[in-house]
Amino acid sequence: MEPVLGQVEQLPALLAVSRSALVRDWDSLTLDRALEWARYFQHLYDRFRARPQLREALGRRLRRSQPCPLLGFPALGCCPQLLGLALLENRALPPAACRRLLRSLLQPPCAGPGSDPRGLELLARRKAAARLLALPHHDPGPEPQLQAEARLLLSRLRQEGQEAGEAAGQLRWLCGALEPLPQPRAFGVVAAALALLKQGAEGDECTAGLLLSWLLGNQERFSAFCLCIPCSHLAFLAGHYSQLRRPYLDLLTGWGRHLHYDPLQGQWVKSCLDKAELSWEELRERFICLCQGSTPLKEQTQAALEFLRTQDGDFRVRGLSVWTDLLMEMGCSWRVEFQNL
Amino acid sequence: MDCGMAQDTTVPKLNFEYWLDKAIEWGQATTLESQKDVCLHLPQLQEFLHQLYETIKHLQGPTVAIQQFPLIGQLLGRLCWNPFVIGYDESQKTLMWCLCCLYSSEPQNAVELKANSWIRSLLCHLLSSSKWESNEAETSTFISALGYTSADYYCHLVKNMVISLVTELRENQCNGLNIQESISASRVNAISIFCVPLITLPDLTPLLETLLLYHGGSSKEILSSEFLEAVNEAFLKKKISLPESAVFNLWLRHLPSLEKATLHLLDQLFSIHLNSLEEVACVIKDSLLPQAASHPAIFRIVNEIFKNALMETDGTPEVMTIIRVFTQLFLQAYQNENKQYKFPLKAYFPYHHQPLVRSLVRRPFELPTTYWSQHVKHISDMLKAILEDTNISSLTDLFEIWFLVACFGEWLDIAAEQLLKAAVEPGPVLWLLAFYYCPKNENQQRTETMVEAQAVYNHLMTLFSHTDLSLKDLEAAVHRVTGVEHCCNQQLTTHLLTNFLLFSSGGHKIAQECIYNITEITDTRKEVYNLLIHTAYRFNHSGEENQRTVKLMNELLQKFTLKV
Repeated sequence: MEPVLGQVEQLPALLAVSRSALVRDWDSLTLDRALEWARYFQHLYDRFRARPQLREALGRRLRRSQPCPLLGFPALGCCPQLLGLALLENRALPPAACRRLLRSLLQPPCAGPGSDPRGLELLARRKAAARLLALPHHDPGPEPQLQAEARLLLSRLRQEGQEAGEAAGQLRWLCGALEPLPQPRAFGVVAAALALLKQGAEGDECTAGLLLSWLLGNQERFSAFCLCIPCSHLAFLAGHYSQLRRPYLDLLTGWGRHLHYDPLQGQWVKSCLDKAELSWEELRERFICLCQGSTPLKEQTQAALEFLRTQDGDFRVRGLSVWTDLLMEMGCSWRVEFQNL
Repeated sequence: MDCGMAQDTTVPKLNFEYWLDKAIEWGQATTLESQKDVCLHLPQLQEFLHQLYETIKHLQGPTVAIQQFPLIGQLLGRLCWNPFVIGYDESQKTLMWCLCCLYSSEPQNAVELKANSWIRSLLCHLLSSSKWESNEAETSTFISALGYTSADYYCHLVKNMVISLVTELRENQCNGLNIQESISASRVNAISIFCVPLITLPDLTPLLETLLLYHGGSSKEILSSEFLEAVNEAFLKKKISLPESAVFNLWLRHLPSLEKATLHLLDQLFSIHLNSLEEVACVIKDSLLPQAASHPAIFRIVNEIFKNALMETDGTPEVMTIIRVFTQLFLQAYQNENKQYKFPLKAYFPYHHQPLVRSLVRRPFELPTTYWSQHVKHISDMLKAILEDTNISSLTDLFEIWFLVACFGEWLDIAAEQLLKAAVEPGPVLWLLAFYYCPKNENQQRTETMVEAQAVYNHLMTLFSHTDLSLKDLEAAVHRVTGVEHCCNQQLTTHLLTNFLLFSSGGHKIAQECIYNITEITDTRKEVYNLLIHTAYRFNHSGEENQRTVKLMNELLQKFTLKV
């Protein structure tokens, strides 16, 4: 077993090389060897897939061999495709090797057996399909691109959950995976993943817990997240994840405290213009969204506002406490809602 | 449309200008019309690309290919950017093969170097979610960091898009009355056009199904006809499988598709040699047409097409056989329908005498065998009364009634069988058979046929229990088959004679020889064969106690099959 484990350790290096400028020196023989390795790894995947202990051992060794452990046992299964596409995108690959790569990837007629003949055609077809079906988006939820990324993230998280075991390691892994993404994108993916977990059969407490830990583990990150995600979506998440409610309300409280009343304009204004905070209108919008959610969410939001109003002296006239004014606005919107029933 | 057609020369002329013009036109225009034009040309373009690949794969190196086809780069490049072309069937595969042929492993000049770099960027455009398209750069980094490839990503993406569109359409269908929320008909129409190249992509199936079941507010068809035709085509060629309800809806909303499906079934049945009715039944059932015919509108159209096919082929026994089996399978499906949703029989046969229809649709196995001859007599009496009615004057009316009886031909076979096997009053039964074989009675043809049949019948009955028969005993009957000019008499006599051979005490001994004689001299091979396979089919389904008859039947059929 030890030699196999030793070989598996080479996978991250192989993929790293395939993405680097080192392929400059590859000829068609080098390329063949690389592809053979990839097929061998796939073979290992097929062989050990159904044997949990060996599978775990291979996964552990694979993770140990990377500075930031992103590749797990499943990566072995799609190794030929991972490698092939990485090389295709690598402009440093010289022509002779590249021609060999194209031949082996595209499989012109009468190609040898043992390869997935529909792989790349299907990929090209699906990519075209994604362009054709990208009609103006109607669904109020996250866009399909984010959802697709979220699904990939979730399925990888589940596999990691099965293999990596302890939570701290998984959280490290998640940080590593989300780090390269620009923040708005990462937030979008996480929000979409949390929403997916609440739809249908995808429910999974562990995975949700992990995503929430990542989100709530860093105050600055959470604040940026809440500024980035549309308020209706945030309200949806707060409605489904009770863990999110308190921090979100606290955040809104903090933002509300920074507003002060300008008697000349007769409205609440930001105390500091360039700070990443909310305006009165935005704050109002967020509270309205929260109050349109589930009953517990609505009750908790209302209770929080009432508590804040009491703290501020329980005034019932406008312009003295932001909470009084918000409650009055909510009162209006509740009445409108009631009339519409 | 001068391309893609078969050419006389061995090297097909590749019309680059034509397709380049098209590609330019498609690339610039984004109107629905130009999208429809792309859809319309996709099969021909695929054929062209295939020919192109076959031509350039033998050329020595890209420079030769470019010299021979200077427009190749422009054309392939433009096509790679057209998602309709890339999404269609196998076009993307052939395109990539062509690109592969143009890639040089040892570029010799600037053109080849440039071509290499261009090919790689095109392939990346087709296959990866990478840096070549700036807006997707983040995606690419993220998915490769997770250890996935663009293949996994686009698989999920397309599934999500399909789910999202399906949800949108379904929700809209539910609150269809709410004008504000309803999707515009033009959006649904556009979705259907975008689906045309993708129909055979399995991920799309839920969307195809939802579209086929979707009806907008207006009575006008909102799906594009290109879409409906392409779905039907793919279904008939078995390139996709759809739930029955979706297929039925397609045929209900698009008449040309139903016609095509019916003609396709006929073609299919003509192209195979029918060894047994079980095979015929299998093919017919597989077409989903009998099941779809539970919708009266579908039944009536299919029945009409069959009727025309019968007239155009001068009533060949094969077509009649197909119609009979179809009718049986339709009845089966109809009887399996939930009572609640069942249409009344009148919806299927609106212009016919309803009591006659009700008698004909009774399946033999629903009645005790002892009641069969009575049922046959009942049908015969009713028919006679209808014909004597002065209203039935035109030939068309007469044909309609005849066609109805012919569709339920199982009762005619039972009539002929009962005549020999059971104690029946022969008159009405013989009349029913005479009507089937000779519906017109202008110059008393049917009356003559009746007299003739009566004589044959009397003669056969005297021989029925003889165990020791020779061919000579049947000479008179055989002569009536071989000697007469009227083909109706001939067919009726053949029918009686064949049954006699099968069921009489001594017929089995001379059956082979007798049938050989008849079919050699006359033109009744097809008739006898069809008679036998119908009887075999009935035996297989309702059982025949007489093992000798079953054995003889199989031997006779075997002889026929060997001869074909």
